[in-house]
Amino acid sequence: MEMIMNQKHFFLYALLLTLIVFNLGIFMGYMLESSRVSKINALSVDSEMELLDQMIQKNAISLLGLDCRSMIEENAKFGDKIFEEAKQISKYEEANKISTEIITQHKRFDLLRALFWMNSIEIKQKCNSDYHNVIYLYKYNNPSIEQKSKQAFFSNILSEIKEKQGSKMMLIPISADNNITSVNILVKKYNISELPAVLIDEKVLLTEITNSSEIEKYLT
Amino acid sequence: MLYVYNKKNIFNFPEPKKKPSVSFIIPAYNEEKTIGETIEHILAIDYKNISQVIIVNDCSTDNTKEVVEKMQKNHPQIVLVNNQKNLGNAGKSKNAGLKYATGDIIAFVDADSYPAKDSLKKMLGFFEDEKVGAVTCPILVREGKTFIEKMQGIEYRVIALTRKLLGYVDSIYVTPGPLALYKREAILEVGGFDGENMTEDIEITWHLTAKGWKREMCLATEVSTTAPENIKSWYRQRRRWTLGGIQCISKYKKEILKKGILGLFVLPFFIIQFFLGLLGLCVFFYITITNLISKYIFARYSIPAGSPLLTMDQLFITPSFLDYLGIILFVVSFIFTLICLGIMKKVSPKKTGFLGIIFFSIFYMAVYPFITLSAIYNYFKRNNQWR
Repeated sequence: MEMIMNQKHFFLYALLLTLIVFNLGIFMGYMLESSRVSKINALSVDSEMELLDQMIQKNAISLLGLDCRSMIEENAKFGDKIFEEAKQISKYEEANKISTEIITQHKRFDLLRALFWMNSIEIKQKCNSDYHNVIYLYKYNNPSIEQKSKQAFFSNILSEIKEKQGSKMMLIPISADNNITSVNILVKKYNISELPAVLIDEKVLLTEITNSSEIEKYLT
Repeated sequence: MLYVYNKKNIFNFPEPKKKPSVSFIIPAYNEEKTIGETIEHILAIDYKNISQVIIVNDCSTDNTKEVVEKMQKNHPQIVLVNNQKNLGNAGKSKNAGLKYATGDIIAFVDADSYPAKDSLKKMLGFFEDEKVGAVTCPILVREGKTFIEKMQGIEYRVIALTRKLLGYVDSIYVTPGPLALYKREAILEVGGFDGENMTEDIEITWHLTAKGWKREMCLATEVSTTAPENIKSWYRQRRRWTLGGIQCISKYKKEILKKGILGLFVLPFFIIQFFLGLLGLCVFFYITITNLISKYIFARYSIPAGSPLLTMDQLFITPSFLDYLGIILFVVSFIFTLICLGIMKKVSPKKTGFLGIIFFSIFYMAVYPFITLSAIYNYFKRNNQWR
């Protein structure tokens, strides 16, 4: 039977088609991940602006003697926002397979959160506020299965407490192993040698939790 | 691509100008239930020059011999060859029958397979091309009552069209047992079947390919066969096929990347297929096991704490692009199956349930890597039992 299509040409066409489909898949995947990174980027820019705004407010209180109330409220709102953002970013990170840009974005968020933490300490001192700073430090790079599971448990417990406490608790998740100098200094200052760890009001450090009450007792 | 380029002539077959004599060979072991009907179907084939129907009885312990002897009385072209001892596999029995065959064309039929009346008329014309050494046709599942038979019914029709398409690029890699015709000169050149191979039909096709013989697929006719009716026998059959494939790769490994379709396409295709299947299986096991360990550790922390094992947040999964690719792959394979079944309606108008096709596309094909793993284990264990 006559071969309608030359054998050699067919294999070349098939190879070409395979390469096109494969590259198209990778390209589409890259586009999908890029769009997610863009969303994270937009969130981070938004958070950055809010944080800068708060820092200006804080300076204004010191310099001009303005009322603390609005700043405490804004701080609480920002704390809630950070909590929601962290959940969103974590989902995008799990789904991220090609692009490494998300890692840079994560570092940026870590910096923002560290800055927010410092700001929260300062506002608390200046305004004599009674909210609690709960810093959740976790391992971001290649956690073991044990660490990953433990972190998932810590996250659940902390999320539950945050839902109950609302704006009385500033839950600030920071990855402690992302090689950020300022975060490294803070980790060293609070003697954090094991991850995950929960630091409550810069006084209590917990690396083992068996239930939520072990944290909640420090938040009353 | 191949279908698009060849769709007009996909069911065409060359009219035979010559009327070569045909010897049928049927290897049989305990086939009393089907052998009679197989012979009847062969004798009913609409072709005048069937010179012999050779039944090779491999020391059956049932009434196979008696059934054939009874039929011999009315049909002198039936030749009964009784093996002195049980040879244990189809390849050796086929070779035993080959010694008695005198036809220009040697047709091999499984003892439970019924060739269509028009099979020779439609298949023999391909041999007019002197380079063609073997011709095969679609195999259709006869009964199809159980779910696994229905799945095989779909599979066989998809395979039939795929084999036809591969034929356009001289890449048919098997001329299967239910019905395969060989030019006498070709089969003698390769020295018959490899009696040690678990899939002698794949091996002989590769051997013919290596010797430069073309293989053709005639989509215009059919042979019906019985398929394993339960999971256990299906699994054993598929493991044997895979094991035979591995034996073939091992035997022809020196041909890899050598000039010719065997070295440049068939062998790499088989090897890559096995490799990807096993790689997929390893990834699957890795992800499943690490997830299970992770869930176990998570539960060990969460249960004493009274913390939920699953939250609403965790229910909303953000899909990665690999998840989307998986979905696309499924959709493409599903569409391909639908197209194949649609085209094959001309040969087999059997209706197939939509859910059956979905199950076939997702789960049926996903079992193959497990079979490959089991076959590799058996290969190294040298567990080469045919039955």
